[in-house]
Amino acid sequence: MNQPAIRVLIVDDEAAIRRALRPPLVELGFQIHEASRGEEALQLLHSTPVDVVLLDINMPGIGGIETLRRIRAAAPRLPVLMVTVLDGEEEKVEALELGADDYITKPFSIRELIARIRTAHRRVHAPVRVEDAPIEIGEIRLVPARRSVTKRGQPVHLTRKEYDILYCLMSRAGRVITYSRLLTAVWGADCREEVEYLRTFVRQLRKKIEDDPSNPIYLLTDVYVGYRFADAQMLQENAEASAAGAVSEQPVPENAGGC
Amino acid sequence: MGASRLSGTYIPLRTMLGTRRPRGSGSRALLFTLESALGIVAVVFVGLLAHWFRWLLPVSVLLSLLVVVPTALLCGFWQAVVVSLSAVAVQSYVTARQANYNLAADPANSVTLLAFVLTALLVSRLSARVTEHAKEAESWGGQMHDLYEFTRRTLQMNLHVEPGSQLAELVHEIFALEAVVLFDADLHETYQAGFWNEDPQELAQNVYYFETSDDDSATGISRRVVRLGTVPIGSLVLRGETSPLTNNAIASLIAITFDRYRAFANESRIETERRTEQLRATVLDSLAHAYKTPLTAIRAASTGLSEMGKLSAAQAELVSLIDEQAGQLSDLTARLLKTARLDAGEVSVNAHPHSVRPIIEDVVASLSERLASMRVAIEVPDEDLVLTCDRQLMVMLLTQYIDNACKYSIFNTTVTIRAVQLNAEVIFSVHSIGPVIPMADRERIFDRYYRSSNASNRAPGTGIGLAVAKRAALIHGGYVWVTSEEDQGTTFYAAIPAPAQKRKVQ
Repeated sequence: MNQPAIRVLIVDDEAAIRRALRPPLVELGFQIHEASRGEEALQLLHSTPVDVVLLDINMPGIGGIETLRRIRAAAPRLPVLMVTVLDGEEEKVEALELGADDYITKPFSIRELIARIRTAHRRVHAPVRVEDAPIEIGEIRLVPARRSVTKRGQPVHLTRKEYDILYCLMSRAGRVITYSRLLTAVWGADCREEVEYLRTFVRQLRKKIEDDPSNPIYLLTDVYVGYRFADAQMLQENAEASAAGAVSEQPVPENAGGC
Repeated sequence: MGASRLSGTYIPLRTMLGTRRPRGSGSRALLFTLESALGIVAVVFVGLLAHWFRWLLPVSVLLSLLVVVPTALLCGFWQAVVVSLSAVAVQSYVTARQANYNLAADPANSVTLLAFVLTALLVSRLSARVTEHAKEAESWGGQMHDLYEFTRRTLQMNLHVEPGSQLAELVHEIFALEAVVLFDADLHETYQAGFWNEDPQELAQNVYYFETSDDDSATGISRRVVRLGTVPIGSLVLRGETSPLTNNAIASLIAITFDRYRAFANESRIETERRTEQLRATVLDSLAHAYKTPLTAIRAASTGLSEMGKLSAAQAELVSLIDEQAGQLSDLTARLLKTARLDAGEVSVNAHPHSVRPIIEDVVASLSERLASMRVAIEVPDEDLVLTCDRQLMVMLLTQYIDNACKYSIFNTTVTIRAVQLNAEVIFSVHSIGPVIPMADRERIFDRYYRSSNASNRAPGTGIGLAVAKRAALIHGGYVWVTSEEDQGTTFYAAIPAPAQKRKVQ
C-alpha cells in the first residue's frame, strides 16, 4: 500500500459488527473511525476527514436514511455505502435515489465490503469524465459522439433505446442504477414503473454484448433494485474468481451445467 | 366391548317402561268415577225434585237432559252415558212410585224414556266431540306457542359455549316436561334437565345407537334421533306430555342449533388460527431480524480472518467452514422471513404482465451453483408467453421447485422446467428423476414443516420451501400439485390463472 490509507467511517449501532469489521480492515490498510448513531456520525464528519462512510440503514435515533440525507446536504460527493438487510428492497431504492453510492447486504464478506469501499473511493478520485469522451470497459467501447458501440473492435448494432440504456449504465459504471432512474432517463418520468420494458431491453442488450447472456459479466442485475455495468475493477475480480472457480471445479464432469 | 355394554343397557329401559304403566290409568279411572258420581248425584236430585213437586214430573226428563249435556261437554261421552242410564233408572223409579201413573197403562211413558236415552246419547256424543276438538285446538295452539318460544330462545342462545345443557333446560322449561335428556354424538356429551330415575346417559345413547324414534303414550316417554339431513348427530329423550309432531319439531330445532354451534365454533377456530399464524409470523420476523446482526458479525469476522491471510492451511479450512455455515444460517433466516411474510398475508401482490421465459432463466441463473451437477432443460414452447403475475412471488415459487429438484434428484440427471398455456392457466412444471414421493405425502408435502418420511435424512432443508411455493400460487388464485412415479420421475406443478391471450411486451 503505497497510496494513503482510505479513511472509513463505520456507522452501526451494533458494537459486535463494528468489532468484527475493525481488525481486518485495519490489517488490510484502512483507517477506521466508528460511530454508533447517525447523530454521532454527523458530528464526527464535521471534525474528521473521511473518505468513505459505511452507513447502516436500521439504527435507532435519526436512522440511516435521514443520516444519509444530512450527509448529502453537507457533502454531496462523499461516497456513502449503505448497509441493508436482504428484504429491505424499498430502503435500498430509497437510499440510492437519495444519492447513496452503493449498498451492501447483511451478512456480507470482508472481501465484498472492501471491493465496494474501493470502488466508491475510486469513483470520487477518478478524473472528471469529459461529457463526450469515449468509455471503454473491458472489451466494450462506447463512443457518445458517434453513438456507436464496439466489442473487440467489432461494431455492435443497437437500437436507439438500447444505446440509451447502455450509455446510462456505462457512464456510471460500477454503480447501481435503480429501475426507476433508468426508466426515467430513457423513456421519461411517465414510464418509471414499467420495469418489464427494461427487462426486455436488457435481455436484448445482453444478447448483443455478453458472451454468455445467461451468465452476464458486464450488465449485472441487482435483484429488485436495478442494474449496474461492471467497472474495470469488478471485471478483474470476476475474472480472478472464475479462474479460481475453474481450478477448484475441475473434477466436475464436463457434461455438467448444461444450462 | 362397547357393543356388549350397549346391548346390556337396553333391557333396563324396557323394564322401566313396563313399571310406569299403572300410574297414568289409575288417576284417569279415579277421575272418571268422580265425574260419573257427580252426574249421578245430580240426576238423583232431579228425581227427588220430581218426587216432591208433582207438577215437575212431566218435565223431569228434560231436566235430566240438562244434567247429561253439560256432563258430556265438560267430562266426556262415557261419563254422559253412565249419567243418562242412571237418569233412566231414576226416572223409571220415580214414575213407578206415582200412584196415579201406571207404567203399563201409559205406553207414552216408555216412549218418552226411550226418546230421552237416544237424545241424551246423541247430544252427549256431539258435545263430547266438540269438546275434544276444542281441547285439541287449544293444546295445539299452546304447543305452537311453546315451539315458537323455543325457536326464539334457541336463536338468541349464546353459542360461545356448548349448547347442549342450555337446550335441555329450555325444552324442560318451555314445554313443561318432567325430564329431558339430550345426547350430542359429536362431543359425546349428554345433558339432562329434570329428574330421571333411570341413567339418562344410557337412555339417550341407546336411542342414538339403535336409532329408535318413538312415542310411548303409556309412559309419556318420547325418543327422537336428532338428525341433520339424514345424518344422526345425537338423540333426545323426553318424559311428559307433548305430541309426536312437537317432538319432531323440537328434535329438528336441536339439530339446527347443534349445527349452528359447529359452524360458529369452526369460524372462531379459523379466526383463532389466523391470529396465531399472524403472531407466529411476527415472532419469526423479529427472530429473523435479530439473527441478522450476529450473523453479520460472524461472517465479517470469519471472512476478515481469511482476508488477512496469515492462516495456516488447517486454520483457513476451519475459517472457511465457519463462513460457509454462517452463510447457510443466513439463507435459512432469509427463507424463514419470506415464509413469515407470506403467512402473515403481508405480501401485496404486485401483478404485471411478465414474459415467462426470462423469469425461468433468471431463476436458473441464480441457482447456477446448485445446478452445477445437473443438466437443466427449459421448455417454453411459446417464446412470447406472457403471464400477469407478481414476479417476485413467481421467482420464489420456481426457486423452491428447482431447488427441491436439485436436492432430491439423482446426480447428473436432467431437471426439466416447463411452462405452457393450457386453457385459462399457465402451468409451470419442474420435472426431475429421484426417489418416489409416497402417495400419503403428496398432499402434505406442501404443508409447512412437513418433510417426507422417505427422505428426512437425505437432504438439507427446513420443510418450509414447498409451503412457500404453495402460498405463492394460492396468492395468485392458482394451485399446486405433484406427481411421482417410479418410471416417470417426480414432477411438481403450479397452475396460475391466465386469460388465454398473449401480449407481446413492446
